[in-house]
Amino acid sequence: MRPVDLFDAYLKNELANEQRNAFEERLNNDLTFKTAFEQHKSLIDTLQSSEQNAQLKANLKAIHASEFGNDGKIIALHPKGNFFQHYGKTIAVAACTALVVMLVSFSWINQQKATNGEITELKRDVEVLKQTNDVIVGEIVKTNTKLNYAPASFEGSAFALNNNGYVITSYHMVKGADSVLIENDKLNRTLTTVVYTDANLDLAVLRVADIIKVKDWQVPFTLSNKSAEIGEKVFTLGYPRKDMVYGEGSLSSLTGFTNDTTMYQISIPINPGNSGGPLLDEQANVIGVIRGKNKVAEGTGFAVKATQLISCINTFAKNTNQTDLVINPGKKSNIKGLKRTEQIKKANPYVFNVLIYSSAK
Amino acid sequence: MAKSSTHLTDDQFISGLKANNNEILNALYKKYYHLVLKLVVNNSGNSDLAQDLYQETIIAVYENVQKPQFQLNCQLQTYIYSIAKRLWLKQLKKNGNTYLFKEEEENDLVDVTEDVGFHLEKENNILKMNTSLGLLGEPCKTLIQDFYVNKKSMDEIAEKFGYTNADNAKTQKYKCLQRLKKYFFEKEIELNE
Repeated sequence: MRPVDLFDAYLKNELANEQRNAFEERLNNDLTFKTAFEQHKSLIDTLQSSEQNAQLKANLKAIHASEFGNDGKIIALHPKGNFFQHYGKTIAVAACTALVVMLVSFSWINQQKATNGEITELKRDVEVLKQTNDVIVGEIVKTNTKLNYAPASFEGSAFALNNNGYVITSYHMVKGADSVLIENDKLNRTLTTVVYTDANLDLAVLRVADIIKVKDWQVPFTLSNKSAEIGEKVFTLGYPRKDMVYGEGSLSSLTGFTNDTTMYQISIPINPGNSGGPLLDEQANVIGVIRGKNKVAEGTGFAVKATQLISCINTFAKNTNQTDLVINPGKKSNIKGLKRTEQIKKANPYVFNVLIYSSAK
Repeated sequence: MAKSSTHLTDDQFISGLKANNNEILNALYKKYYHLVLKLVVNNSGNSDLAQDLYQETIIAVYENVQKPQFQLNCQLQTYIYSIAKRLWLKQLKKNGNTYLFKEEEENDLVDVTEDVGFHLEKENNILKMNTSLGLLGEPCKTLIQDFYVNKKSMDEIAEKFGYTNADNAKTQKYKCLQRLKKYFFEKEIELNE
């Protein structure tokens, strides 16, 4: 019997007790024999784990495809360096936040006595809405052969900031999120990275991770630096449910919740899921971002003023040299003269449903 | 979403992995994907890279869990995150990127130097094995795999490969194995590290 055959027989547990004992004794006494055996064993182990490894890899790929789909399986065409510029610039963020913290807390301290009722953040809890949705779409789902995605932890609204793939939404939604995706009729669910957040303005700037998806973007509206006036007609677009919903009303106050000067008060019916959507004036300039509504007083919504956002984003962009993020506040909306229905049609591709995935409870 | 699998404890995940339970592997994969996705995407990666990294992470976890002496001394989430971070940093370093690592403060970290080292050594060996098997060529490669991995008997192998009898097949297997040993141990195989 060749040593190799003996090794195999021992490893396969095919030796009789007597032979087995003799084999083990030789292992203890004969160093050369022992070395040869260990080498053989490690070769066989590696041979087996290599096969196991290949199976596990294939298995994980299959799991991924069935659980998360192969969304965005486009081979990255963007230059490699592109992603490496946008991160780790916490100093600028901190500085900008600190400034705002000071301003906000001043106004907050001064006006705290007016507090009555809390602000409700309008992210849409998917779990809660799921039931009603299930009833409505139950029949459709059965015949739908499209990939089923895992439901998001919660959802809200967002809108494009410029043609470079930047998107604005509310900070209270992306806070603690593991991943943030956007979608609408024109854009399949698309992963974004959180570029910048400001808790005090409840602002989050996202960027579409795959730049190819935004190459044809022609965002018709921009953030306006013009202060709006009381009584102005305003409207919003958002995703309180899976389809975009239009809401119309007027600007009721130049200060928001607890007289916060960074916000407007508006009289538009808004619902969970509206958070992060744009507030537009008659000319379809973005004058604010929907923040929330008063818990106790019906019909009082709040939106963070665009003027506040512009200065904060531009400071951040300047400090971090992200020229493609700088907002030109003088720019006018491209759809100002159009009828409302036409404006909405043009704006529609640039207002998104935001899907937040978060493992934290 | 309230499937029973989402309520599995860390211990249940670990014993499920040990036992090669596919359902538990599936639940585990689902549970922590977004954690790693976020880590990668926030740090110069994209979702494709995240998927690759996450799968390597799960493989590393799996390999370590198979060790008889394995013990989880922290939350499974912390363990997975720590391994993923280590592997991702290694990859970024390999690409020559130096930058500030951006992460959520709430993610705890644990020292996984040994566990990651164990995985990398294993990965390296597997790579070496696959290269050696490539050099070995057919029919040796399949013959060796049939015997050691698929556990076929010498009679079956003799029939499949057209040898006159089991002894003959055994001799062939022996020759193949000797060559494989030579490639795997003696010859320095150039690896793309």
